[in-house]
Amino acid sequence: MPTPGNTSGHPVRQFRSGIVWTLLTVYGILTLYPFYWLVISAFKTNEDFYSRPFGLPEKWNVENFSNAWESSKLGTAFGNSLIVSVGSLIITLFIAALASFILARFQFRWKGLIMTFFVVGMLIPIHSTLVPLFILMKQMSLLNTYWALILPYTAFALPTAIFVLTAYLTSIPRDIEEAAFIDGTGLWGLFTRIMLPMSVPALSTVTILSFLHAWNDFSFALVFINKTGLKTLPLAIANFADGYQTDYGLTLAAMTLSVIPTIILYLVFQEQVMKGMTAGAVKG
Amino acid sequence: MNALRSRRFIMLGLAPAVLIYALFVFVPVVWSAYYGFFNWSGIGESKYIGLDNYVEIWHDSVFWRALKNNVIFVLASVFGQIPLALMLAVILHKSNPLQRFLRSAVFLPMVLSTVVIGMIWQYIYHPQIGILNFLLDALGLESWKLQWLSDDKIAIFSLVPPLLWSFVGLYLIIFISALQNIPGEIHDAAKIDGASGIRKLVSISLPMIWGTVQVAIILCISGSLKSFDLVYIMTKGGPAHATELLATYMYNSTFNTYRYGFGSAISTTIVLISLLLIGTSQWATSRKRKEN
Repeated sequence: MPTPGNTSGHPVRQFRSGIVWTLLTVYGILTLYPFYWLVISAFKTNEDFYSRPFGLPEKWNVENFSNAWESSKLGTAFGNSLIVSVGSLIITLFIAALASFILARFQFRWKGLIMTFFVVGMLIPIHSTLVPLFILMKQMSLLNTYWALILPYTAFALPTAIFVLTAYLTSIPRDIEEAAFIDGTGLWGLFTRIMLPMSVPALSTVTILSFLHAWNDFSFALVFINKTGLKTLPLAIANFADGYQTDYGLTLAAMTLSVIPTIILYLVFQEQVMKGMTAGAVKG
Repeated sequence: MNALRSRRFIMLGLAPAVLIYALFVFVPVVWSAYYGFFNWSGIGESKYIGLDNYVEIWHDSVFWRALKNNVIFVLASVFGQIPLALMLAVILHKSNPLQRFLRSAVFLPMVLSTVVIGMIWQYIYHPQIGILNFLLDALGLESWKLQWLSDDKIAIFSLVPPLLWSFVGLYLIIFISALQNIPGEIHDAAKIDGASGIRKLVSISLPMIWGTVQVAIILCISGSLKSFDLVYIMTKGGPAHATELLATYMYNSTFNTYRYGFGSAISTTIVLISLLLIGTSQWATSRKRKEN
């Protein structure tokens, strides 16, 4: 395999690995370019945007960001996204962990059926539930409330969460719960004081997956929320872009602000994010 | 442990997950199939019309166009993302700083909202201010400039690069972890036998991760059938249904033309198509596994 550390030796091989790494670097730049372009353009005026599409801004218009923050009500949108994401995350973690604990550590009659029930759900495309969910929410008077997002985000996070957690909990040795029972710990104590702390690695995978999914979701928010004050970040950004179509710097500044939290999260927790996503994807 | 108490614990512990899941995932799907038999505008009376919606879908050219576009997405993903990700994974599966950097760069779009991805690419393709057309100008290729998203012949293909850009990182990471799971002794043995480079890749690495590749193909298929956000943001299914997908068509029928019954029937059709496709691919891969 050509690697940069491995370029010594045969000149033909050296030449070949040189080509591979040049191509890779070009690919890397192409992948990152849209991000770079987004950020530098966010500082530009409209004229600058036309006249120097690839260049740096003539003048760095920092006020684009404050204007965008104000006029797109980004603060409210951030708050809403945080409420629905964290809300559904907490519910998901708790009820998925409890269900997984039971599915992983107990034998009972309906176990196989319940597992199948969750698997089948993983195959259902989210969007095919939009119409009936909309009608259901309307009848339950949930439209335009935080619950209209928290509950479906939770429901759709459950299958993956239960799969990741059940697999993990099954691998914990039996001796541990026998020891706990001898010490007089009840079922509830076994769950909260022993199993939960022990599943932290699996729980963090589930946390990343569920949070990113809820934070980035567009379609549920689009259908279930139309009150301005309740709009989540992706919805607010999409609407803002429709309204300020011709103010490019401003729209791009709003977009840049909206991606900062997930990019920071990614840079800090990179390894976990990648692992979490693949675990979720492969299981899902 | 008291059997009765643990029985109660089992039931109470499973109840919240099962209830929320049933109410917000399962019931809607069943309801959707039921609403599909009605003519209903969302308000007022609904009228039972039997299979009329489904018959209409069968004869609806827009539905077939949407299905065809979905198939284009599936093919573009399977034959675009999988080989590209495999190639990158083979080169990037070790861990020096440059490899780690490139891996992170390729994966980065995965953490963005599809809304932002769609909007970035909308700007890239914009006929007047888009950097793609500026770039073609700069390279002296003015004649290649196109109306990327508003020309009904090419719009659906313009949506493929953003699709690849945003998802290739996922498959890259999946393949890298599969490659890293191949035991070192196998590579050592291959070295002793004199196999190296391409030879080692084709006769050892690839067969060993083939199971993962099959899983990735299933993910590609189901993922492409789920596409909605990207297309909704970039083209809303237009121009003239040229980029319509099953999901956008369902959305447009329900929330723009207020045909709830018809929209529900499309929803049900999407579920059936997904189950059919996934079932087929599961069957195909498990048969393959048995043969091996």
